[in-house]
Amino acid sequence: MRLRAVGVAAAMTCAFLVTGCGGSDKTDVKGEPAAASELVIWADDKRSDALKPFADKFGAENGVTVKVQAISKDQQTTFVTASQQGSGPDVMVGAHDWIGNLVQNGAIDPVQLSADQTGGLAANALKAVTFNGQTYGVPYALENLALIRNTDLAPKAPSTIEEARKLCVQVGQNGDAYHLYPLYSSAGGYLFGTTADGDYDPKDLGVGKPESVAAFKKIATLGEKGSGALKRSITLENSIATFTSKKCAYLISGPWAITDVKKAGIKYDISPVPGFAGGKPAQPFLGVQTFYVASKGKNKALAQEFVTNYVTTPELAVALYQAEPRPPALTAAFDQVKGADPDLQKFIDAGKNGIPLPAIPEMAAIWDPFGKAEAAVVGGADPAKTIESAGKTIQAAIK
Amino acid sequence: MQLDGPATERQVRPAAEAERTFPLIKIILLGLTTAIAIWAAFPLIGHKAWTGLAILAATTAGLLYLYLTPRHIPAKYLAPGTILLIAFQIFPVLYTASTAFTNFGDGHRGSKTEAVVAIQTASVTQVPGSRQYALTVATKADAATGPLVFLITDPATRQVRAGDANGLTGIEATVTSAGRVTAAEGYTILTAGQAGLRSQEITALAVPTDGGAIRSSGLSRAYEGKAGRAYDESCDCIRDTTTGRTWQADESIGAFVAADGERLAQGWKVTVGLGNFSRVLTDPAVSGPFLRTLAWNFAFALGSTGGTFVLGLLCAIALHSKRVRGRTLYRVLLILPYAMPSFAMLLVWRDMFNTDFGLINNLFGTDVDWFGGSASARFAVILVQLWLGYPYMFLVATGALQAIPGELTEASRIDGAGAWAAFRRITLPLLMVALTPLLISSFAFNFNNFNAIYLTTEGAPFPADNPANGATDLLITYTYRLAFGGAGAQYGFAAAISIFIFLIVAVVSAISFRRTRRQEEVYS
Amino acid sequence: MKWVKQVGWRHVVAILMLIFAMVPIVFVVSAAFNPLGTLSSSQLIPAGASFGNFSRLLGDTAFGSWFLNSVVIAATASAASVLLSALAAYAFSRRRFRGRRVGLLSLLLIQMFPQFLAIVAIFLMFSTVTGLWPAIGFNTWWGLILLYLGGALGVNTWLMKGFFDTVPRELDESATIDGASHPRVFFKILLPLVAPILAVTGLLAFIGTINEFLIANVFLTDTGAKTLSIGLWGLVAGERDANFGMFCAGTLLTAIPTVLVFQLLQRYITDGLTAGAVKG
Repeated sequence: MRLRAVGVAAAMTCAFLVTGCGGSDKTDVKGEPAAASELVIWADDKRSDALKPFADKFGAENGVTVKVQAISKDQQTTFVTASQQGSGPDVMVGAHDWIGNLVQNGAIDPVQLSADQTGGLAANALKAVTFNGQTYGVPYALENLALIRNTDLAPKAPSTIEEARKLCVQVGQNGDAYHLYPLYSSAGGYLFGTTADGDYDPKDLGVGKPESVAAFKKIATLGEKGSGALKRSITLENSIATFTSKKCAYLISGPWAITDVKKAGIKYDISPVPGFAGGKPAQPFLGVQTFYVASKGKNKALAQEFVTNYVTTPELAVALYQAEPRPPALTAAFDQVKGADPDLQKFIDAGKNGIPLPAIPEMAAIWDPFGKAEAAVVGGADPAKTIESAGKTIQAAIK
Repeated sequence: MQLDGPATERQVRPAAEAERTFPLIKIILLGLTTAIAIWAAFPLIGHKAWTGLAILAATTAGLLYLYLTPRHIPAKYLAPGTILLIAFQIFPVLYTASTAFTNFGDGHRGSKTEAVVAIQTASVTQVPGSRQYALTVATKADAATGPLVFLITDPATRQVRAGDANGLTGIEATVTSAGRVTAAEGYTILTAGQAGLRSQEITALAVPTDGGAIRSSGLSRAYEGKAGRAYDESCDCIRDTTTGRTWQADESIGAFVAADGERLAQGWKVTVGLGNFSRVLTDPAVSGPFLRTLAWNFAFALGSTGGTFVLGLLCAIALHSKRVRGRTLYRVLLILPYAMPSFAMLLVWRDMFNTDFGLINNLFGTDVDWFGGSASARFAVILVQLWLGYPYMFLVATGALQAIPGELTEASRIDGAGAWAAFRRITLPLLMVALTPLLISSFAFNFNNFNAIYLTTEGAPFPADNPANGATDLLITYTYRLAFGGAGAQYGFAAAISIFIFLIVAVVSAISFRRTRRQEEVYS
Repeated sequence: MKWVKQVGWRHVVAILMLIFAMVPIVFVVSAAFNPLGTLSSSQLIPAGASFGNFSRLLGDTAFGSWFLNSVVIAATASAASVLLSALAAYAFSRRRFRGRRVGLLSLLLIQMFPQFLAIVAIFLMFSTVTGLWPAIGFNTWWGLILLYLGGALGVNTWLMKGFFDTVPRELDESATIDGASHPRVFFKILLPLVAPILAVTGLLAFIGTINEFLIANVFLTDTGAKTLSIGLWGLVAGERDANFGMFCAGTLLTAIPTVLVFQLLQRYITDGLTAGAVKG
């Protein structure tokens, strides 16, 4: 019985193998062109949709296969982890403030742009992607905060933040350092000092310094115990909705808010974020969406070709603008679309004072404690004690 | 062994049939297993992965032996699940646990060689005053295999030179207005598709020049570049080629460090022994709030498990009667919270607890700052867990109630016991046999319920003087913040904390598990 | 009065629980039909009603393929998982062998390790697997199903083992005496008896798989290969709050397969065959 069973099992094996090999032969044939020149691009969901037609065009022109894949969550970590294990893409699309972390993980390569190419890019966008003297990617869109106002409720742009009555700023339960920064800088605070070359200096942490205490005291006057412009109940999810439902006259937000504002049929205008009365000008963070060449990509030459010679053409930048209305970083593309969309110039103007979001890896230690300090102060906690302990936490994380 | 008689006669026939079908199914499955193993073996042989092949052969041989021998019956039932468990659960866990002894994390992910490559690549800059060239990739032989040659065109003079690892030589060629070479005597021009296939060779090719080397920037441009930093094997250090400054390799921290203490960002993974564990125990930021967090963590897990169990059981019992009209509809609606994607509903609940715009304050006309106070925030997260989790208990309890023979409860009712007494004396103990293991596992799940906190309060409220540990933080969310919230991801450290948490849960579960032994033996 | 005591209270409990259960769901329904598509978090009744969010969801996203992927992966993985789990539960409940209780406890404890740490190991493994066997590598149904099946022995095994324990041992003992082999006892006698719990664990596994997104997020990167949960996450993560209405619409549609599976399994869950068990 046993022996016979073994015999039958062996026969079955052969039978399966014959059918199985028939199948696998076919997949091998199919696998052949996939092993041919292939370029893999990772982006988030929104951008991957916009990129697809251009990726296909690039593929057709060059006789290569281009795959655009969307990473829905934790793009940066997924990219670094996947790259390290050799399953990453050739080209990655993401925000410029990832650069520090990507560089320390050896995940991206610098790009070599010609003088013509760098000349065609907005100067602050180029500065944002420059890290340790190298250009680490090709920027394609800019974003920064501005003051959006409902012109029915507030016909005139305010000159100080105190003047803006019924202002909504997104804070959320645990604070929002990005949206707070213009006010913090206007009140005299800073995050990192700068070195002689103009790079951020992680050794000079501004959080916890007397300037930051003074700044948080001013911020507290806008908090729940003060004028109420800053409220923890205004969150990432509902800030735009409170504005479109006319509960606020002013909203501090970026280009991404405009689609909704238009859809709600609100008459609006855009002006720079005003500072505190008697304070410094408010400096919003400047964010730059960037194409990166992955160090551990399988097809680096093709990736460099795509990023440095294809992304720098205006057609792609215009298409990405149409998918998502942010000012293109490419001057030629910006000039093409600005006529039809006056908001773009207004956002650029609002970002004149802006500073690039720090790309140094130490910045990762700021977000969480700084945001929480904001939430605590907005809720009525003592500004000095709160910001000093946030400074200590950040200092300990940076070391 | 068979008894005589018509009653057994009837049973034996189908039994005998079944006894014939089972071996047949078994043989088919074994054949399939062997076939899959052989299919899987080819790529392993192709890649010369002998260890992998040995594991595959041993596993297959083990399986064949196991199912062809009449012995080891329990193993026959456990093997399929266990193999998958080892491959996809135990291996990742062991791998993760092993990283606890390293500095694995952002800046220290790869090997030293990878770090050196990254440092050198990052230091390549264009030679000052040099030009960018138009590039055409070509070869003198076959497009797929011939040695590569860079045909570079000077944009100003439109002169073409051919370059390989030996250097540059001038050649005659036809050039487009953009500087691309379309034809050159003796050279085959590679199309983008052909060049793409040889991407690695193109990236690796550096044509030496006086000032540095000409490298490709994509497939159509080249530049003269120079590496600003190079690894020097003799001193095991990185040296800056212009300033002469050196960074010495430090194997204890996995980084290149200069004399003044400056570190290069690109480090590598090294073993740090028990460093991460001693950090967990000695760092006041970790050990300080540990006990407080642990206590709340237990309260949360017990509250969520107990609460969902009571609610679920209540619903199950309420609908455990054919006399309830519309109970099918009730059941479907009661199960709905479980059918909705939980992460989505956690986000929705978070909005519902919003102080000014939230549905809850709005419905009740209250003005509670739910996530602002410790007590209300803790109540809120447990309430959300009750909503998310009770349908699970409801389902399981419904199933369990069906399994309890109606005769038993009826019998006790006839004995004169009240409904409540019958439930307590008969139904509940029986239910507990089936459900105690489940309660333990549910406790363990909730103990580490990352999403429950991360997608709602994120640990809020935080005391003003400590942004690292909030009132609703569980150990796992706290770990996450410590390991990933600071300067980059620190996997090694996170793994060390996880091992501590693991030990705590293991001890608690093992103790409660011991108590199930008695119940189990009642029925065996 | 007797009605109240025997049946009425059941309705009271059920209705109270229904209110608790339905409030957030009504809120989601309201947001899904809200034409503005943004979050107006203070209302149960939407400002207007339209199918705009649904048509945008079906027209602008790859919702159809997400849905198909999710259903296929969840159905296959949960069916296989129930089988594997039942096999193991039988061994744990009916057989006595060395390491039984340790094994049972280990099953539970393995699940304790945080998944966000395991992602690195998964990349490590599947980068190799994708290189060797692309058919079960990244972006394939089979690879993800296998990965999910790694967790087949776990909570569900515990659940089933508890159930097997409640089936009287005399049943299979007498069958064994009648000459039935162990596979026959297992497949022909025990499995039908524990049908309710097979259905319950099947449903639980189905829901667990369809909601999983931590692993699916890194495993499936091709747009066409994504599952519902990652697709939905992408909707809210990619574009701040603007897609909230579509997100809610998607959440509602996602619940449909689960409810259908529940309907399908309901009669096994609620009308167990246990009456026969005792008589058997």
